[in-house]
Amino acid sequence: MAATSPSSRNRSSREQLIDGWERIKAPVFYTLLTVWGIICLTPLYFTLVFSLKPIENAYTPPLWLPTPFTFANYQTVFSSFDLFPRWLLNSTIIAVVVTILRVLFCAMAGYAFARIEFPFKKFLFNALLISMMMPGVVTLIPKFLIIGPGFIRGGIHLGELTIPTGFGLIDKLGGVILPSVVDAFGVFMMTQFYKSFPKELEEAATMDGSSRIGTFFRVVLPISQTQLITLALLTFQGEWNRFMEPLLILRSPENFTLPIGLQWFRGEYYTLYSVILAGSLFNTLPILILFFLFQRYFIQSIATTGSKEG
Amino acid sequence: MTTFRNKKITEALTGYLFVAPWLFIFFTFSVFSLGYALYLSFTKYNLLSPPVWWGLGSYQRVLTDDLFWQKALPNTFKYVLIVVPLQTLVSLILAFAMDQKLRARKLFRTIFYLPSVTSSVVISLIFVWLFAPQGVFNQIFGLTINWLDNVNTAFYVIMGMNIFTTSGTLMLIFLSGLQDIPTTLYEAAEIDGADKLQTFMYITVPMLRPILFFVITVSVIGCFQVFDQIFVMTSGGPLDSTTTITYLIYKWAFRDTTVKMGQASALSVVLALIIIAVTFIQRRVIEGSGSTTE
Amino acid sequence: MKSQFKILSLLFIAAFLLAACGTPAAVAPIKETQIVTVKETQIVEVAATQTEVRLSGWASSPSETALLESLLYRFSVENPGITVKYEPITGDYKQALLTAIAAGTEPDLYYMDIAWWQEFAKNDVILPVDDLMSASGVKNEDFIPSLIDAFKFDGKTYGIPKDFNTLGLFYNKDLFDKAGLDYPTDDWTWDDLKTAAEKTTDLTDATKPIYGICAAADPGRFPIFVFQNGGTVMNADFTDTTLDSDEAIAAAQYYTDFRANKTGAAPADVGEGWQGTVFGKGQCAMVYEGGWLISYMRDQFPGTKYGVVIPPAGPAGEGNLIFTVAWGISKNTKNPEAAWKVVDFLTNEASQTTVLQSGFALPTRISLQANEYFTNNPNSAAIFNGALNNAQPFFWGSVGSDVNDQMGKALERVYKENQPVADALKQAATAVREALAAQ
Repeated sequence: MAATSPSSRNRSSREQLIDGWERIKAPVFYTLLTVWGIICLTPLYFTLVFSLKPIENAYTPPLWLPTPFTFANYQTVFSSFDLFPRWLLNSTIIAVVVTILRVLFCAMAGYAFARIEFPFKKFLFNALLISMMMPGVVTLIPKFLIIGPGFIRGGIHLGELTIPTGFGLIDKLGGVILPSVVDAFGVFMMTQFYKSFPKELEEAATMDGSSRIGTFFRVVLPISQTQLITLALLTFQGEWNRFMEPLLILRSPENFTLPIGLQWFRGEYYTLYSVILAGSLFNTLPILILFFLFQRYFIQSIATTGSKEG
Repeated sequence: MTTFRNKKITEALTGYLFVAPWLFIFFTFSVFSLGYALYLSFTKYNLLSPPVWWGLGSYQRVLTDDLFWQKALPNTFKYVLIVVPLQTLVSLILAFAMDQKLRARKLFRTIFYLPSVTSSVVISLIFVWLFAPQGVFNQIFGLTINWLDNVNTAFYVIMGMNIFTTSGTLMLIFLSGLQDIPTTLYEAAEIDGADKLQTFMYITVPMLRPILFFVITVSVIGCFQVFDQIFVMTSGGPLDSTTTITYLIYKWAFRDTTVKMGQASALSVVLALIIIAVTFIQRRVIEGSGSTTE
Repeated sequence: MKSQFKILSLLFIAAFLLAACGTPAAVAPIKETQIVTVKETQIVEVAATQTEVRLSGWASSPSETALLESLLYRFSVENPGITVKYEPITGDYKQALLTAIAAGTEPDLYYMDIAWWQEFAKNDVILPVDDLMSASGVKNEDFIPSLIDAFKFDGKTYGIPKDFNTLGLFYNKDLFDKAGLDYPTDDWTWDDLKTAAEKTTDLTDATKPIYGICAAADPGRFPIFVFQNGGTVMNADFTDTTLDSDEAIAAAQYYTDFRANKTGAAPADVGEGWQGTVFGKGQCAMVYEGGWLISYMRDQFPGTKYGVVIPPAGPAGEGNLIFTVAWGISKNTKNPEAAWKVVDFLTNEASQTTVLQSGFALPTRISLQANEYFTNNPNSAAIFNGALNNAQPFFWGSVGSDVNDQMGKALERVYKENQPVADALKQAATAVREALAAQ
């Protein structure tokens, strides 16, 4: 607060307002946070309740307490399909591989766009932005062609050579991983993060004779831990929940990911929500746990040259 | 002289090296897909037989379509104009709140992140339930409106749902950005006698400019392409009041008995052009004098 | 913080343990049949060269999937040289299928829904099966005429219908008892329906209103009233619509009057998305739904007592809709004979009897009409018999989706904007004609 004591000068109405605000700020703040917190918890809470009641009691009161209680829905989710553990494994592999690669590649590209000068940089960055602007519905088919059979069926024939025009990765996890290994959203985000970084640290490293590459890996990456974790969390979540592309690319049930496998519980004409919700809760759990675990990266700010924010 | 030239060349090569992975994926997937979609927009294509060249026929169809002009286009713009500011504001406030030294900060953050993580099926179900004629919302406020079935209110429920769902993700991004603001700046401001409001306005917000630009751009792009909730909850109804451009694209491509892929592609191109225009206008506004996207 | 972390990790571990040692769920006793999954091991001689056939369809519940897989297993025992790869599509079926066809990677055989299959025949994407049929002694006459004819185009048969559904009038026995009414019979008429709806409506409890009938603005229900009034939705060759005919308008008037007179309601009026849930909760005494409601009631609302009869006849007699799915063989298949063998097996009398006995779907062969299953399950019998009472396929030509959209919107406008019925249907007809012109 100001060094001068309140009584030693006329208190402007603005200062009085701010004083009053400071006093009620804490309780108001906490109330708002709690209200929003309850609103955020509600969907998860009801998922839990629905999934812990037997199917035939889904609509019987009380609707907000799981009585009668049962684990049967979860049992149904786990044991209806022999392939359930396999789906879990597939989802994990895809999410982990994509997250690691994407964070690395997006950080590299983001750093380049933010700090390195190279020809056509502005053009490429604009191209990156534009690539996000075409709705996905129409690009599904060409993407599918490239991942799989190729846009010229049978490949381009040059004498005895046949050059494939597609990757031939249909029905393989690689077909889901490859297109996601970098994405415009991630590059854009890292670019903006790196733009707002203080330059002093990097300049210090380059002064010491470190190359760009060295600076990047030894100085920049560690400093941007928080941002990398953010990208990692968002990427993991996105990949874990992705549905449309895996649906088209993966054909054999043993290659399904968890969301696709869980959709198998949807009936043709009607849906038994109790089981679906149990499955969706299980689908949500890994991300929540990861998020909670990585919270500590959001408390410390390593880029600051001052004290920690604790 | 030569060392400077060499340095520039090394710099350029390093730049391309760093950008290489993205560039590869960009060329193989994005460029080809966009090109193919552009090509399809000049054809008549029902997916079952090869595309037939049609010149501007598909564009003509799009631009004379009632559903496009009366519902899809205005709905989409309405959606963007309302959701983007609200989304940004809500998540910014949440992030700022979560950056303060609060008790149970970690717990609050996880809870606030929940909506972004919960499956959209669940959130749709909950919202349908909450806003039912005899649902909780009406009971609290003593109303009898059938929110999702009413032509005038259904769209706003979808908007609310989207703001709710994305608040966690955007809060996370803003939080990362806030972490980067050096404490020295805040300390200096305190010494100079700035109050919390001034600190927020003159230090926090300007330092967040690049992230703000990111969030708003991404929000605009995302909102112009809103599809998932409408697909799950209303299928464009009631009476097309929740039909957006992307839903119309999907309908023409995969829902209609006779597939109209050419039209869908043409509309996608139109949408892309609209988004490009809006984004570059928006960039001017946010950037102002200093360009942060060189 | 540490304790929260502990609790969370314990939850996670518990979840994984459950996953790892999950025991098979106990089968709840069902009144009609008991479905037991048995794993058999048999030594089978496998031919040196295997022909692979890829089979796809939309995914249905785990128990129905198990049924299909048991049939495929039986097939593999009888045909050791053919391997069938089952590749279910658990999401948007049409989108996945169309993408595969566009890319040339579609499966060898797949489901085709009556509503959109004809485009496939028109674009030469599927194989006509007449020759394959005669080679294996399968005749068109073996199947229910309205079903097999639905999959004919240009004089050729393109698909064998695997099962079907019609609409039945489901009625809640308790609510009828409460109103002191006799249960509906197969001889009912529109007047009987109207009276019953009036008498079973009970709006005294504002938090739990009970309506006589649930009348959704659904293009999958409304047309049967048009048929029962002697009208049609489209003309004979699907080049024009007859939605603005007097018969259709009168039928729409009758259908929407329930809600107008407060003896009926749309699902949204009671906060639900589907009529079936409204019926299950006991908030409507009657509803027009298909055989799927039988399975739904068994799973979700086993306590509700109900019965099913054929829809009441209108001024011009009976009328019903047929929902059906057929097996289509891809034109690009490398093994048409093998693919046909699979189709033939899955639709032969033995397989269809198994499916019927399981209670999941109705058979398409005439020979199974007299099966004892129907004597034991009158509700399913009512749905089956619907096919024999002026039932027309749920198919409106190449603008089918527009026709359905417009019918739905017309009814919605009547419900929500109080548009007069005649105007609503005329507007719908105009829109359909515009769609036809744009073809």
